[in-house]
Amino acid sequence: MVRIRIFVDSSDELGGQQYKYIAEKSVEDLGLGGSIDSIDMLIRVEEPVFIIVIRYKEVTGKSTLGEASYIDSRKNGIRITLSSEIFLGDALKALWSKYGRDRVEQIGRLEIFVSGAEPEEVKGVRLSEKGYDLDSRINELANRIIPEGFRVRSSTKNKGILTIIASEDTIKENWRALARRLEGEAHA
Amino acid sequence: MLKYLLFEGGLYKHERILEFLEDVGGFLVQKTVVGLDLIMNLAVPEEELEHLSAIVSELKGKLTHAPLIGTEIGVVAPTLSRHHLPHPACDIAENLRRHGAKTNIIGLSRGVGQKIIHTNIKEKELIEEHDIAVFTLGNFEKCLMKKTKLFSEIEVPVIVTGGPLMKSIPGAEAYVGGIGRYPERARTGEAIEKLREVSRVAGEVVEQRRREMDLDPLVVDPIVVKAEIERQVPESTEALSPNPVTLKIDGVRVKLPYDDYKDKIANVAIGDKKLSDFAEINRSLMRNYILVKVLPKSMF
Repeated sequence: MVRIRIFVDSSDELGGQQYKYIAEKSVEDLGLGGSIDSIDMLIRVEEPVFIIVIRYKEVTGKSTLGEASYIDSRKNGIRITLSSEIFLGDALKALWSKYGRDRVEQIGRLEIFVSGAEPEEVKGVRLSEKGYDLDSRINELANRIIPEGFRVRSSTKNKGILTIIASEDTIKENWRALARRLEGEAHA
Repeated sequence: MLKYLLFEGGLYKHERILEFLEDVGGFLVQKTVVGLDLIMNLAVPEEELEHLSAIVSELKGKLTHAPLIGTEIGVVAPTLSRHHLPHPACDIAENLRRHGAKTNIIGLSRGVGQKIIHTNIKEKELIEEHDIAVFTLGNFEKCLMKKTKLFSEIEVPVIVTGGPLMKSIPGAEAYVGGIGRYPERARTGEAIEKLREVSRVAGEVVEQRRREMDLDPLVVDPIVVKAEIERQVPESTEALSPNPVTLKIDGVRVKLPYDDYKDKIANVAIGDKKLSDFAEINRSLMRNYILVKVLPKSMF
């Protein structure tokens, strides 16, 4: 499993540790292990404020197999090497429905062999109707981690970093400064 | 006084236990057959325990003291969202059921936050239909302390579970720490031990409540009411809900529509009296079921 750096700065130490565990398990549940670099959380229950910074690998919308992989011809077929593991499920599903299960074989973590297929034909195969939506899954991850009662939220997204400040009160300026500092630490 | 026991063993010759119960005035509360295995919830007069133990050891079964048999426990989660369900509320409920209790899970509409936290009258009444309420709260001590108003006015005993390792929490009968919000099924020995601790604490609270009720006993033991309802209103045993006549500490919940069956239930004869003579029969907030609350002797 890919190791993700999870850092928690909490005024309640025991509660903070538990949130680290919640973050780890939520990443696992959503299958985002390969897409996330780090999660930083700052928790101040007494204020109350919960800041989360998720640093992830940005994936631009790739709708066809040609965009999401490198395809080369082999004897009796083609070999597809995906650029990221996150396309694997959709790629297999699309190839199975086009060529049938007998002709499609996953030969490695990122590699698929399709027997009797032409590269040009495979390049045009659509991965899914909507394309891969990593952003919504990252948002889902943040929502699963942030305590439910913290409903006033301010979020910013910038070059693979999602920052959410959550509280029960209106967001204060010093919390924004804390969030910026945390973003800096996430970069480090 | 009746003692509540959990029998685990085989189907072979288990009729001997049932015959024994009939002879000594005991009751079979629930019987679950899984393949050739058998789990029975029993109520036996205290003085007959030794005889029952002898029969059970002959049948190579296992008998466990289970005070939670005959109780209906509400496990209350702050909301019905993914943050609080299915874990840990369902884990706690499952462990309580393993110890003989009947459980219902209740999700509050606004049981989250420090400021927006709130319960309404209907939620309070629904929780009070149970013998005990177990509130499953979160990981932060400060948050927990602000949530005491969720249960401080609940009139049935309340057990609170949460992450912080505190000894008690104001407004609750008992507190079990180390079970806060967690995102997966409890699998480790340590986590399961915590679940067992909730069941053990619930057992103590139930025994305490039964001891208090012994000072002013009910006119008829609810288990007799259950047996008579099942005998005289056969539809009650045919209802598809689990445990169609659920035993509670001070009564029973009959899982039949109130409007159609309230009169039949009220007219159930026990001895030379009707049930309505010594019990309150009310509409439950849960699916229009019928709630029967047996009154104490001091009311007559």
